[in-house]
Amino acid sequence: MTPADAVGKRPWPVGPRAIVLLSLLAAGAWGVVYLELDLSGLVPGAGGIATAKRFFARALSPAWVSEARFVPADAPPLLIGALEGAWQTIRFAAAAVALSLVIGIALGIPASTALWAADPAGARTAAGRLARRSLFPAVYVSTRGLIGFLRSIHELLWAVLFLVAFGLNDSTAVVAIALPYGGVLAKIFSEMLDEVPRGSANALREIGARPLQVMLFGLIPRVAADFTGYTFYRMECALRASAVLGFFGFPTLGLFIRQSFSATNYGEVWTYLYTLAVLVIAFDAWSAAVRRRLAS
Amino acid sequence: MFAAILCAAIGLGDFGWDFSQQRSRNLTRFAEEMRPFPLQHVPWDTRVAWQWSTELFSDRGATAAAQTLAISLVAISIAGLIGLALSLPAARTFARPDAWSRASPDSRPLARMAWTSLYVTTRAVLIALRSMPEYVWAFLLLAALGPTPWVAVCALAFHNVGTLGRLGAETVENAEPRVFESLRGLGAGRFQIVAFGLWPQLLPRFLLFHFYRWETCVREATVLGMLGIASLGFWIDDARARGHTDELVFWVLLGSVIVLVGDAASAVARSVVRRA
Repeated sequence: MTPADAVGKRPWPVGPRAIVLLSLLAAGAWGVVYLELDLSGLVPGAGGIATAKRFFARALSPAWVSEARFVPADAPPLLIGALEGAWQTIRFAAAAVALSLVIGIALGIPASTALWAADPAGARTAAGRLARRSLFPAVYVSTRGLIGFLRSIHELLWAVLFLVAFGLNDSTAVVAIALPYGGVLAKIFSEMLDEVPRGSANALREIGARPLQVMLFGLIPRVAADFTGYTFYRMECALRASAVLGFFGFPTLGLFIRQSFSATNYGEVWTYLYTLAVLVIAFDAWSAAVRRRLAS
Repeated sequence: MFAAILCAAIGLGDFGWDFSQQRSRNLTRFAEEMRPFPLQHVPWDTRVAWQWSTELFSDRGATAAAQTLAISLVAISIAGLIGLALSLPAARTFARPDAWSRASPDSRPLARMAWTSLYVTTRAVLIALRSMPEYVWAFLLLAALGPTPWVAVCALAFHNVGTLGRLGAETVENAEPRVFESLRGLGAGRFQIVAFGLWPQLLPRFLLFHFYRWETCVREATVLGMLGIASLGFWIDDARARGHTDELVFWVLLGSVIVLVGDAASAVARSVVRRA
């Protein structure tokens, strides 16, 4: 029933979209009341104002050399250290996205109904039909549950769990980011497989291709461009996530930010913040260019 | 793109993947510590585990969950309002002297410069807000404001203003232009065009983005508590610092439940918006 049909017989004076909007605003208002927020909380106290002043005073003059009072003789210069932190951030993020791509594609295929439900790759034997009615739905439901579980735990919480279990390790950071991101990629991949037009896949089935061939050559090329674009977006998120993981001790930019901030070397903090900003913005520009080229 | 895959492959291979005995010993130790405290070194009893869980939940879990949801809701509402407002000056089609008219823009260079500088400034602000992770914002705000919920709300709001503003600006730029041109031909002013031509196209898509970002806000609100703000993350960090691995796992699973509830609510809201 389109909105045009409903005009003559609408029971409520406002449409469903307005109800959604109003309930959202009402929920926000409930949040304000529940947390007892008032605007005086936005005004920093005396100590806070002093810190903020000292911090923002350095915003336009980030440090070019290390500001620490004691610098070891063989320590690298500050800018080299910042670049090293940026490189570690990229390294962790790239490895995490690569692993999450593997997880995403591996989980996304059983989590989509493209292979068996709408029959772009039909079942020709009795065993095949039995599998389609019992085994595949079971696999589908359990994979969706697994994906939902992986997605629901934030990468930082996965990192905390792995830190408690295995200690500080390069691969714990990579796996901590890769698990939820793999879940997200799997969900997006399965949704793309489900929603893509089936024309070419049906044509392949007509000429007698096997189910795997139908999927590889009929469905996946259609989703490849969109999925690559989304993977680039995930990589940008992974860059930010791996920088934040540094706050927990991993050797990325977050570690340097936390250390310099605790030592009140605010100039160094701004150097690292600008490095992180340049990193994210540069990657965002690259990913936008790639997506434009893919869409054309 | 091939370069990207190559980088990723190099990155993946570079790590020290060890599946040593120490790793498996750590895993068994973790699995043992994960059991609820009354049940460690004792045969498993589901009733005791259930009672332990409900005690934890009613004691601190319910409040922490409500605080997490409240933080996320306030943050996304603020971010939505400000992001919606900023998506107009951040859109190239709006930020020009004769918006959406077929006339050539050669006239009035001064007005054009003013609009362009507004556009560039807004875009720069949005990018700056967007490129800092929420955790970094919260870490910086914590020093100024102390451990209040406003720190988490502002951190989430700043980052999401950047995201929602950018998504809204892209929606404005990709809007169907013929409606605007015909309204302009009727003599409508800039803001009349926005109210009658743009708003019906912009609002549904913006609401979809808004709810999608709310799901992320719920996850981030859980985590931001680890800095000391009163939300679920606070208890996660507390359990980690005390070495109570069983409570740690319980809080993480509770966070997972909260996220799933938020995702379900968001999916319902988004399907209502899409169908309308």
